[in-house]
Amino acid sequence: MTSLTAELLVVRKRSSTWILLGIWSVLAVLFAYVIPYVEYLNESGPGQRSLGQLLPAQLAGNLVGGFPFFGGVFALMLGVLALGSEYGWGTLKTLFVQREGRLGVFGAKLLALGAVLVPFVLVVFVLGAGASYVIALREGGAVQWPSAWLVVRAMGAGWLILAVWASFGLLLAAVSRGTSLAIGVGILYALVIEGLISAFADAVSFLEPVTEFFLRANAYSLVKGLGLSVADAAGNGPGAFSGPYVATAQALVVLVAYMAGFLALSALLLRRRDVT
Amino acid sequence: MDDSFVIETSELTKRYGERILAVDRLDLRVRRGEVYGFLGPNGAGKTTTLRMLLGLVRPTSGRARVLGAAPGSPEGLVRVGALVESPSLYPFLSGRDNLRVLARHARVSVSRVEAVLEEVELTDRGSDRFATYSLGMKQRLGVAAALLKDPELLILDEPTNGLDPAGMAEMRTFIRGLGRGRRTVLLSSHLMTEVEQICDRVGVIRGGSLVGEGTVAELRGRETLRVRAEPLAAAERLLATLPAVERVTVADGGLHIAADPAAAPAINHALVAAGIAVSELSREQASLEQVFLELTQPGEGA
Repeated sequence: MTSLTAELLVVRKRSSTWILLGIWSVLAVLFAYVIPYVEYLNESGPGQRSLGQLLPAQLAGNLVGGFPFFGGVFALMLGVLALGSEYGWGTLKTLFVQREGRLGVFGAKLLALGAVLVPFVLVVFVLGAGASYVIALREGGAVQWPSAWLVVRAMGAGWLILAVWASFGLLLAAVSRGTSLAIGVGILYALVIEGLISAFADAVSFLEPVTEFFLRANAYSLVKGLGLSVADAAGNGPGAFSGPYVATAQALVVLVAYMAGFLALSALLLRRRDVT
Repeated sequence: MDDSFVIETSELTKRYGERILAVDRLDLRVRRGEVYGFLGPNGAGKTTTLRMLLGLVRPTSGRARVLGAAPGSPEGLVRVGALVESPSLYPFLSGRDNLRVLARHARVSVSRVEAVLEEVELTDRGSDRFATYSLGMKQRLGVAAALLKDPELLILDEPTNGLDPAGMAEMRTFIRGLGRGRRTVLLSSHLMTEVEQICDRVGVIRGGSLVGEGTVAELRGRETLRVRAEPLAAAERLLATLPAVERVTVADGGLHIAADPAAAPAINHALVAAGIAVSELSREQASLEQVFLELTQPGEGA
């Protein structure tokens, strides 16, 4: 427990945590509310949304669409930095000779990372609620909030998606023993590999079942039942996703399995490798 | 393994791939309460050995016990403080916060932070970011981090690296102080003066193997006498007959005499009485540097 407080101190005092949180929060609200609202006002834009989608009632569905891709990339960077920077600074060897042993240190880092993802979800929902409220007031729309249960489930799903990507970042950092390559490979995977194979899957039939196990497919599938607009998800941009969608239960199992796998492999690498 | 040894290794070996043998069947024994100097040239295997003792690097073969525990095990680590190579701490945290992080990982009372900051005279700069510290201050903070657990065993890897002469002298005095009392210190270095001034015993490592071990005095060997006299051949013949002289050899235009240095006045008197002109009669002893070079030059030593 004291190791966790140590790791929380490190995370709290680290500027990259706040920079990533700030950029992610601004982008999430920008893409979920500001740009769609400007498009609505101008009656323009490729994915023009109705006013109803921007009102508080659609809070959960409107925000969760940002987690599977954009939020995921931010969480990936957070995960990479949480472990990869320790190799660069040499602090891993300092921590490993304290008391906890390697897995104890890794466990504390993991818990701290999980804790820091909570504000990554909370802040976006608070800002999103504020934005939808302002839009409702300006447009004279109904200020009717979604049920607390739906919001809690949406926040939980958002946290899980971020946690899976952050775990992927931890694994890449453990494999590459650094940050640069890990972030590069992670973003390459998120932007290119899943996207390209998904695009080819329409033409190459045997690729389609493979795409059902992609992080993005399962993350989008998890939030689909929470009010995600499938049409909006399939819009333009690097994070666009047009399927395949899988059942929510399958998505949940696959995401948890990914997270467990990433963490187990990271722990194995940390435990077995020499620290030089 | 013996309880009187704080560190004990048996045929400890580390190999990287097929070609690099970093540590070769090393048998090292560090006694409780001593300051042990681990001396060797760069690349001799010192840091790899220390890393194995701390559980950071896994041995390829052989055994090691540190304070009776396996290297890297929590029961051993809790009693060990270490500074391996340069101090590796968070650059964006203050010195004080860095120590707080380590204290929590080590489950040590945070009150120890102020105590060790004071011990290394960094209390005034404790709130400044580590990245802004000079090399000497970083090194001192590294030592403070190693002292947090008030450890029975301190492992210091080249702690004066990068320090200016004043900083080195200060660090040496500090380490000497740390080694007093019950604490054991294992100090790795390639600096002779450092080891000579601080250490009770010294182990010399070359190519991953221990090639010499003992107190500084033992390693330097006994004092001898050096004589310059004319005529040299007559002096050599005379000296060979004196009971105080064990052996005489001619070298560098003079004579090296294996004899108790206390016999120097009698030897001088005998030479002068025989009409031999003595221009020099001095005590001579190998420096630690000479011993070190002899032991660590390729093709020399054990």
